Amino acid sequence: MLGYILRRLLTGALTVAVVIIAAGFLVHIIPGDPITAMLAQSVSATEEDIARLNAQYGLDRPVWQQTFVYLGNVLQGDLGTTIRGNEPVAPLLLQRLPNTFALASAGLLVALLIGIPMGFVAAINRGRISDFAVMFIAILGVSIPSFWLGLTFIQVFSLHLGWFPVAGTGFRNMILPALVLGIVNSALVARMTRSALIDILQEDYIRTARARGLREHQVLFVHALRPALISIVTVVGLVFAHLLGGQVITENVFSWNGIGRLAIQAMLQRDYPLVQGFIVIFAISIVAVTTLLDILYGILDPRVRRK
Amino acid sequence: MTLRRVLSNWNTLVGLTILLVVVAAALMGEWLAPYDPLQMRVGPRLSGPSAAHWFGTDELGRDLFSRVVMGTRLSLGIGLVAVAIGLGVGVVFGMIIAVCGPRLQQGLLRVVDVLYSFPDTLIALALIAFMGPGVNNATIAIAISLVPFYARITYGLAVVEHAKPYVEAAWIAGARAPRVMAVQIAPNILQSLIVVGSIGFSSAILSAAGLSFLGLGVQPPSPEWGSILASGRNYINRAPWILVFPGLAICLTVLAFNLVGDGLRDLTDAKSRKR
Repeated sequence: MLGYILRRLLTGALTVAVVIIAAGFLVHIIPGDPITAMLAQSVSATEEDIARLNAQYGLDRPVWQQTFVYLGNVLQGDLGTTIRGNEPVAPLLLQRLPNTFALASAGLLVALLIGIPMGFVAAINRGRISDFAVMFIAILGVSIPSFWLGLTFIQVFSLHLGWFPVAGTGFRNMILPALVLGIVNSALVARMTRSALIDILQEDYIRTARARGLREHQVLFVHALRPALISIVTVVGLVFAHLLGGQVITENVFSWNGIGRLAIQAMLQRDYPLVQGFIVIFAISIVAVTTLLDILYGILDPRVRRK
Repeated sequence: MTLRRVLSNWNTLVGLTILLVVVAAALMGEWLAPYDPLQMRVGPRLSGPSAAHWFGTDELGRDLFSRVVMGTRLSLGIGLVAVAIGLGVGVVFGMIIAVCGPRLQQGLLRVVDVLYSFPDTLIALALIAFMGPGVNNATIAIAISLVPFYARITYGLAVVEHAKPYVEAAWIAGARAPRVMAVQIAPNILQSLIVVGSIGFSSAILSAAGLSFLGLGVQPPSPEWGSILASGRNYINRAPWILVFPGLAICLTVLAFNLVGDGLRDLTDAKSRKR
């Protein structure tokens, strides 16, 4: 067990390292000279600023060293400073991280609450009309752009009906964006639940349970649903990563004060160190959550550990 | 025979029908659009759907129907080019990983898996933040964001093919890696790859609309579904039609690609067909 956990942690750490190196490399795809491009947004760029940025990215050193300069900085907790305002990047992002996590968790909860029952209904009615209906709704769900659903919700529930505030960051503000993220991502959960349950319903022990004369609802809810939920744990990581991708846009639609909204502002203002910081923090969040869930899965299902 | 199977699937049929309409709109935009999509004040500002303006007009008095129809070409075009580039690069990468030595293979697979675990919208966003906004950059960014997905799938297909005796025979006969990839492996995984290609389309079109909506993709005043939504978002209370029609266009197109992709996948994947 310990070996399994250590392996997972090591893989997670390597993943983060690869992403940080990639994020450091991104300054090289800026058209033209990166330093000039970065300081173009700054009102009063001095020789000092140029020297500071050069040192920060190690742009005066050979390319193979540059790759590791940014990694080295990040490992020491230094994400650099913003081009505009010269503020440290790390605290700017970290103070918004709780907002982003709160919204993402709420969205995930909605996705599970919608997706699991949908997948369940589809699986036990496999091949019937309700199965097709549920799966059609699921495909429809992944086809809706989250920003459009968000704008539609604002138009209907905030502007027209006046039930929710249009924009801002607070509990009442969270309901609509969480619904948007949940609905868009529930399709993935529904599909996974369906196929997990279909596999389980073909197992011998389900036939045994039925042969023993257990009621159908006992077979479904006690014998089939529990192991199905365990395999859904792994999917949760996948859904969470996918959800965080949509979160960036959703935060912008609802003016939710999270790091996704900050990141888009930084992108439009070409505040490159802030964008890099966002990539690193987001990558660490995704890897942390998926690694934790993998470990949890290993604890719940001993077969996984041996793979 | 295969064609009959495709057409007997209701979902695929619906998808293909929608796609036919969308492709027609993209090809014949000029004939279908009653007005110039860029010309302002062809009607009153923010007027609702009417006989003269089927989808109403936007905040500058431009005809929304013309803009949505002409937007089809941009959205489909970005999707097509992005999928073509992403698929091409991904397939080459995937095959290289499949034929290289075990050590290198493990390392490369690790990197691809890492990139694959990140949402493709995020990868596209990260790239475009540094390349700068615009249609071309958005297309390239979306293409690159699709590479991990295509490379992973190609690897899965190619490694199975690579293990077969006839490929081993080719190696023994002295063929080099490029020849093995091009002559032995590629033709045999081509059919599956076409299916895989269609799956990437929907995500490319969604990414393109999202980037344009955020102001990082197609720039105004060019008509693109995402950018029409972005410029109209401040008027949604007075003119909800600006919200409805471009959004429906995105939804229907992506839905069509998803339906067709699903149908094709069922066709090639015996395991999922059984279900």
